Amino acid sequence: MSSAYLWGLLFFSLHAMVPITLAAVGEVIGETAGLFNIGLEGIMLTAALTGALGATQGGWPLGLLVGLATGLLIGLIFGLISTYAKGDQLIVGIGVNLFALGFVAFGLTLLGSPGFYIVPAASRLPKIHTAVGNLSPLVLVAVILPFLVYWLLNYTQLGLKLKAVGEQPAAADVAGLRVNALRLGATACGAALAGLAGAYLSIDWLGSVTKEISAGRGFIALATVVFAGLNPLLTLLGGIIFGFFDSLATWVANIPGVKEAVPWQMISMLPYVVTLLVVAVIGRVHFPSALGKPYSRE
Amino acid sequence: MLQSKIKLLAVLGLILAVGFMVLPGGVTAAAQTKGQVAMVLDVGGRGDLSFNDMGFKGLEEAAQELGVKTVVLQSASAADYLPNIRNAARSGKNELIIAIGFLLADAVNQVAQEFPKQKFAIIDSVVDQPNVRSIVFRENESSALVGALAAMVAAQDGFKKVGVVLGIPIPVLFHFEAGYRFGIDWGNKKYAQVTGTNPNVGLLWTYTGTFSDIAKGKASTEAQLKLGAGLVYNVAGPLGIGDLEAISEAIQQAGHQAGPPFMIGVDSDQDWMGGGNKVLASAMKRVDNATFDVIKSVVQGNFQPGTASQGLDNGGVAFSRYANLLNFINFGINANAIKEGDRGTIIKNWLEMRQQIPYWIWDAVSELEVKIMTGKVTVPTANTPDEIQAIRKQFPLGG
Amino acid sequence: MARLSAKLAAIPGLRPVGESSLAGLIGMILGALLLLLYKFNPLLAYESLFAGGFGSLYGWAESLANATPLILTALTFAVGLRGGLFNIGAEGQVYVGALAAVATGLLPVPAALRLIVTLVLALAAGALWGLVPALLKMTRGVHEVISTIMLNWIAYFFAFYLIAHTLSSPLNGSRTIRIPPAARFGVILPGTDLNYGILVSILLALLFYFLLWRTTVGFELRAVGYNPRAAHYAGMDEHSIGHWAFLLGGVSAGLAGAVQLMGRPPSYAILSGIPQLLNLGFDGIGVAMIGRNHPLGILLAAVFFGGLEAGGRTMELVAGVPLEMVRVVEGLILIALAVPELGRFLTYLRHLNPLELLSRQRRRAD
Repeated sequence: MSSAYLWGLLFFSLHAMVPITLAAVGEVIGETAGLFNIGLEGIMLTAALTGALGATQGGWPLGLLVGLATGLLIGLIFGLISTYAKGDQLIVGIGVNLFALGFVAFGLTLLGSPGFYIVPAASRLPKIHTAVGNLSPLVLVAVILPFLVYWLLNYTQLGLKLKAVGEQPAAADVAGLRVNALRLGATACGAALAGLAGAYLSIDWLGSVTKEISAGRGFIALATVVFAGLNPLLTLLGGIIFGFFDSLATWVANIPGVKEAVPWQMISMLPYVVTLLVVAVIGRVHFPSALGKPYSRE
Repeated sequence: MLQSKIKLLAVLGLILAVGFMVLPGGVTAAAQTKGQVAMVLDVGGRGDLSFNDMGFKGLEEAAQELGVKTVVLQSASAADYLPNIRNAARSGKNELIIAIGFLLADAVNQVAQEFPKQKFAIIDSVVDQPNVRSIVFRENESSALVGALAAMVAAQDGFKKVGVVLGIPIPVLFHFEAGYRFGIDWGNKKYAQVTGTNPNVGLLWTYTGTFSDIAKGKASTEAQLKLGAGLVYNVAGPLGIGDLEAISEAIQQAGHQAGPPFMIGVDSDQDWMGGGNKVLASAMKRVDNATFDVIKSVVQGNFQPGTASQGLDNGGVAFSRYANLLNFINFGINANAIKEGDRGTIIKNWLEMRQQIPYWIWDAVSELEVKIMTGKVTVPTANTPDEIQAIRKQFPLGG
Repeated sequence: MARLSAKLAAIPGLRPVGESSLAGLIGMILGALLLLLYKFNPLLAYESLFAGGFGSLYGWAESLANATPLILTALTFAVGLRGGLFNIGAEGQVYVGALAAVATGLLPVPAALRLIVTLVLALAAGALWGLVPALLKMTRGVHEVISTIMLNWIAYFFAFYLIAHTLSSPLNGSRTIRIPPAARFGVILPGTDLNYGILVSILLALLFYFLLWRTTVGFELRAVGYNPRAAHYAGMDEHSIGHWAFLLGGVSAGLAGAVQLMGRPPSYAILSGIPQLLNLGFDGIGVAMIGRNHPLGILLAAVFFGGLEAGGRTMELVAGVPLEMVRVVEGLILIALAVPELGRFLTYLRHLNPLELLSRQRRRAD
């Protein structure tokens, strides 16, 4: 086991962490304010496509921007239905997932290359070169962002307001907070981060879009939010744990002799079994009492 | 043209639906005329850059050259196979129904009995019915060639290992693995014979369990490279996009423009991917030719049921060469994966890449090719988990 | 008129059916706009979609065949949500149920009992897999969203393992052994996929209806889901109620996997990569939502979704519209369904009675 192998594993884990942590930390913002968006998978998938096309057109800055904007837009639709229209958040989220599955495959078909789209090398996000491997700048973003959000939620007026509308919307309303506006803003910004995660997949990490490019990472992000109990810092930890064991499973499976001792299917279960064990040890976490319920003045 | 489409779709990121206005519809509607051929794809569908796309390529060529009408039926789930094939048969408009992939075998078997006058063809599986043409490939033979190449090139460039990233363990993939193992062993021996030292190049292999999660391809390839692999063979369709990402990053990290490390392509000629200097060779499986030929046989009135085994000797599988590169650059351009303007660079890069490999290695690959074609060398194969287990014991290759 | 609409309003279930239908209509209209933007002919597309799904006996049979497993996975999600649980574990429980159904083929069972034994073992396996998140939640407080997602993936790779080893067909490495003929559901309408497995789905939906609305356990389950605090103060045992929700869900999803294999031609075996089981659980969530988490609504919604999928194939064949369009429409329908304003729109329509409006204006004028 060379040190290059271990560095490689570490770096790959960090890259695998990024989409999960970005989407999860965004969802933390929304859930803190009381909105539960199960549509992360769909947002990531859609933004992977639109972000890739944006990058092809105007380079990676536009790609990231389009990814963010796609997430923001879907988040706004989700948020408007879930707040002012008092709709069922669950249904919208599931609808977003279904829509995205069809929309991305449909869009790829009409682009002329059904099933996949490769982002030109010139439109990719530049990498940070280090002695032991290349690093995506978004790794740094994904590491720093949870701290920023932690600060925002716990040490700013805005954060306190978001918590208030998530925990006690009626009291917040009486206190003069605009419950629906705050919720809408929070979930839209959160969804924008899921969009960024999608753009990361296509214009950075994997350099391509396929009809299943998100491969369940949106749901893993959702699980990470639950694991974190809405603590942004723990989404980073959760993303790293999952990213590490997910990568470890693949890396270990390639070492000669391992598959003979343990079937590869069992090795592939590793990240999921570990996550389950970790959450079983942690036990119960707290959620905002008004999570998932639309607020209406009685 | 592409640019304008992309621009529209990029704007669409901001206003999702509205941007799609100027995009033309891609699929042609079924026509009422005779001489129509239906193709039913498996759940992988279009865009795998290999198996399904090769079938589609054959269908398109038949449409152009033979003038047949075509219709393609995708399958959203395995539950669609039977109804899709049945719908195609029920309509009575299709002279031939081609099923792409072994997953459709049971469905073809059933519908062939329900519609005994309808002609069918199935790729990659044998369906024993009087109105079905079954086409299977000896992928072990082409895999032996790229295995031999990989071992010799790895030894030449100072690598201790070669790798292979496979998808879901199915019999077809066992053919690839068996042949690749045999080829590496043959390459090791050949290298020892020519240079006097046995390189003992070992094999790193993995089944990822997916034909869709690109990240698994990238992770596996990167792990294999870090464990000392100099070439990695993609036997997982679309995961090759991820394999190539890992290879490209390793090349970039080393401060180079071209491999090593190299990828080895599968099914189609994938040598053009990544600029022409990162995929050293491809083990081609001419699903396109097989599709074209069976359509042609129907058009000419000499369709024959029964099983055709396609190997190196009849061009069913092949080692990628210059003429293939030229053909498949067009394939890439049609898929919008590369642009017309890239053609010259890709060809130049490819020629330089192949020239940096000592000439005797190419000769050795050709030697093995001829020996397999003439039956002097028989490449082992495997169809069941037990059989591939036996092959792994026979050619352990340091693992 | 006013009396008629009042009468209509009094019919139970009419309002949710109306709302779901309206959402369906809006989803289809949005989908049509998208088709139009792509320069497809939406009229031709929808005509072929519905002709394919519901335009003939054959179409109906295909739609019902598609609905068969969806009814069961939708019930899984619905019974969870009724009990206040977000159980998205149907996907994994389907795999496990299907594996158990195939494994039963290895056991020595008299032919006459094979069908029933296979069903029982499959539902037991589904129930066991469904109890894992229940136990994790009750003993360790692990949220079911996280445990069911993880268990889905574990079941996925577990299925891959069994397909490659214990259950692998010695004749054909690309699938498991087949379900023995004695354990298969016959085809109802020859030349279609519709089989007697659909009776299992319908019976279970009726059974769930009875359980939820006619028994104490069902009442408590809905009470806990509706207002856990009130249920708690009323002395209900949330833990045992929660177990019931997971258990019933597991039974239903396990049966979905079994019925899909035992009834749906032609393979009667799990293929490599489990392509005939993938997404049945997740699609069930959408069906449950459109069916308003009510067993009877789910029956209707599953046939609707099944019809869209069957018709999608015809739409591809006739109108050249890619199959994926069906999912786009399904998603749009769900999004439209979420907007409660739709319901109010229906109420508004009811008041859009010219006589009533007139009398109201007159009153205002007075």
